[in-house]
Amino acid sequence: MDFELPGEDHPKRQEIRAWFEANPHPSGLALAQAGFAVPHWPRPWGLEADAELQLIIDQEMKRAGVHVPRNPVAINNCAQSLLTHGTEAQRQHFLWPALSGEHTWCMLFSEPSGGSDLGNLRTVARLDGDHYVIKGHKIWTSLAHKAKVGVLVARTDPDQPKHKGLSEFLVDMDTPGIRVRPIIDMSAHENEYNEVFLEDVRIPADRLLGKEGEGWALCTTQLQTERVALSRPGAIWGHGPSARELVEGLAEIRALADGAIRDEAAQIFVEGEILRLLACRALSDRMNAKAPGPEGAIHKMLAAPHGQRVVDLAKRSQGARGMIAGEKPFPSQLAGDDPYDDWDYAFWFSQAVTLGVGTQEVLKNVVAERMLGLPRELDPTARLPWAEARRKQA
Amino acid sequence: MNFALSEDHLMLRQSARTFLEKEISLARVLVPGATVADADYEANWSKIAAMGWPGLVIDEAYDGLGLSCIDLAMILGEMARTLAPSPFLGTLFGAWAVQKGGSEAQKKALLPAVAAGSTKLALAVADASGAVDPPSHEATARKRGQSWGLTGAKSFVIDAAAADWLVVAAQEEGGNRAFFLLEANQPGVQVDLLPWRDVTRQVADVRLKDAVGERLAADDATLWPWLRDRVLFALATESAAGTQRVMEMTVDYAKERMAFGRPIGSYQAIKHSLADMLGQVECSNAATLYAAWALSENHARGSLAAAMAKAYTSDAYMAVSQRSIQIFGAIGFTWEMVNHLYFKRARANAELFGSARAQRARVIDMVERKAA
Repeated sequence: MDFELPGEDHPKRQEIRAWFEANPHPSGLALAQAGFAVPHWPRPWGLEADAELQLIIDQEMKRAGVHVPRNPVAINNCAQSLLTHGTEAQRQHFLWPALSGEHTWCMLFSEPSGGSDLGNLRTVARLDGDHYVIKGHKIWTSLAHKAKVGVLVARTDPDQPKHKGLSEFLVDMDTPGIRVRPIIDMSAHENEYNEVFLEDVRIPADRLLGKEGEGWALCTTQLQTERVALSRPGAIWGHGPSARELVEGLAEIRALADGAIRDEAAQIFVEGEILRLLACRALSDRMNAKAPGPEGAIHKMLAAPHGQRVVDLAKRSQGARGMIAGEKPFPSQLAGDDPYDDWDYAFWFSQAVTLGVGTQEVLKNVVAERMLGLPRELDPTARLPWAEARRKQA
Repeated sequence: MNFALSEDHLMLRQSARTFLEKEISLARVLVPGATVADADYEANWSKIAAMGWPGLVIDEAYDGLGLSCIDLAMILGEMARTLAPSPFLGTLFGAWAVQKGGSEAQKKALLPAVAAGSTKLALAVADASGAVDPPSHEATARKRGQSWGLTGAKSFVIDAAAADWLVVAAQEEGGNRAFFLLEANQPGVQVDLLPWRDVTRQVADVRLKDAVGERLAADDATLWPWLRDRVLFALATESAAGTQRVMEMTVDYAKERMAFGRPIGSYQAIKHSLADMLGQVECSNAATLYAAWALSENHARGSLAAAMAKAYTSDAYMAVSQRSIQIFGAIGFTWEMVNHLYFKRARANAELFGSARAQRARVIDMVERKAA
């Protein structure tokens, strides 16, 4: 066991650092072609990087002030499915623009009829000649208002049980019949989420990802946002301020002189340090070739409420001033490029972190069932043909 | 960089588990009204000594095994899992003190016998309030030629009644604090067992009246911070392992116990509680293993890591052992079940050598100092 992170003199680090010194302002495409968008992928897209090299690349990019293009749905969640389930034509068409950030992606998964019960979704895709015709309504779609490509899960066979009749598609977001409506959340910030209406949207049949009926397996894999959890300690899904920055900020405004705040800050700090250790352990497990499992769920189960505590204490340390829009708690902390680096926005947005990508309650079920072997939740609709289950519920 | 335990460590832990599961029984303590006198202290110690465990962290030069804090965590954790009552912890604390603070002659005189299991030790630091830091004012040491005379009181001394030698923190004339080595069996030393609720552990008051001792060579400033880090780490290791054991037995029970035609573990009120427990177990283990590594490497973050581990595991063990009783239901509140033994160990470990809150105060002090 060795908790020492790869040092300054690590040969891989020097190699990566040299690249960034030679390319101080790389374009998205240059980053992608160098393999830095998805270092853990096989070549030519990635570098077949192990967890240690991924960590080095993350650190060196941060040091160089360079960011991978903000295209999380492609880079963290969905694009990898094309490697194993996509056709060669799909890979050639979609991957470079996704990895370079030219095409923003979104995930057309959740629906108004039920968030956590994703398998019950109602959007249908019907084969009509060499096209699928899609009809339905999606919600909570991050980045749909900016996206060029939507990864859609829709029902292709209503007579199968709910998880079996689903398929996944790669949809051009400018296809006629798609309408995107922004959802303004409680932060009043530029919208993160959208509703997406799909009215008889015709897409070529070769936009099916994998085979018909594989949609559930694909989207559950894509929702294990494994890589995000690996190394980032920020309060909002790994982004934004961390507990260390909270303590620095509270020291700066002399809030730590208050005994109650001091103890709470210490408690949050200790939690934050432990979560860093757990993230490192997940990294080691990858290096030791242990397959990713449900630990991703436990990490999120712990990290999401921790993040809420980080931004909540920062907000409370401001007293009544915290209710003034845009008021900064810690004057000298500069906001970075990430929107969540803004403490005020991160606080109002933080209610979402125990809702999105699995609510806290659903994650606890996953942890209890898959890690502790407790009995699974009953779903009387799981084995019925979906159409029949729906008639019974109506 | 490798945050996972090595095969060797996993094997060491497994061998300790196999041995303890076979050899340790809590049956006599689970008879209502049992006290520490029923905890098979001496018999367990003979078995543990035969395994060579008293010499785990003693250098090979003094006939010990010279193992690291990570190795120790494997075995100490297993003892805490079974609550194995024995004078192991007191002897460990004393051995650390002598090894770090003793002169060559003191180490030669004592450590080989400790490693062999024939001499037991205890470390007396706290005063009657339980405070260990700042140093106690309740014991003083006066120089008498080559030796020292100690007078005063110490409290919450783990395994004092079993110990052959005591390592006692006291103030010299002039106010310097130092550690002194005393033979327990002498007229000036009186050891009184406390009616300690954690009945799988022996805890005593020690009263000294002109007791004859010798000073450990090292200064307090060298010895105490080093020793405190290890004591906190050891208590955290015990708590983390106990937390995991309690979670496991509670999960097993929730799978078997039926109510309204279903196992109680199928209800979310129980299931979510158990998921939270697993979160606390994972965090406790991560914090203690990090402390084990940092102390093994004499890393600059060792003190911080030990304080964080003690802070986190204290709260987690109390919370998990309390929830466990609730999930077992009324049976979990009876003496004949083991639940209360873990609940009591959790609370005792949390309080000894500084509570979670006291450790958090140290953590934030360290973070502030580093930032300044």
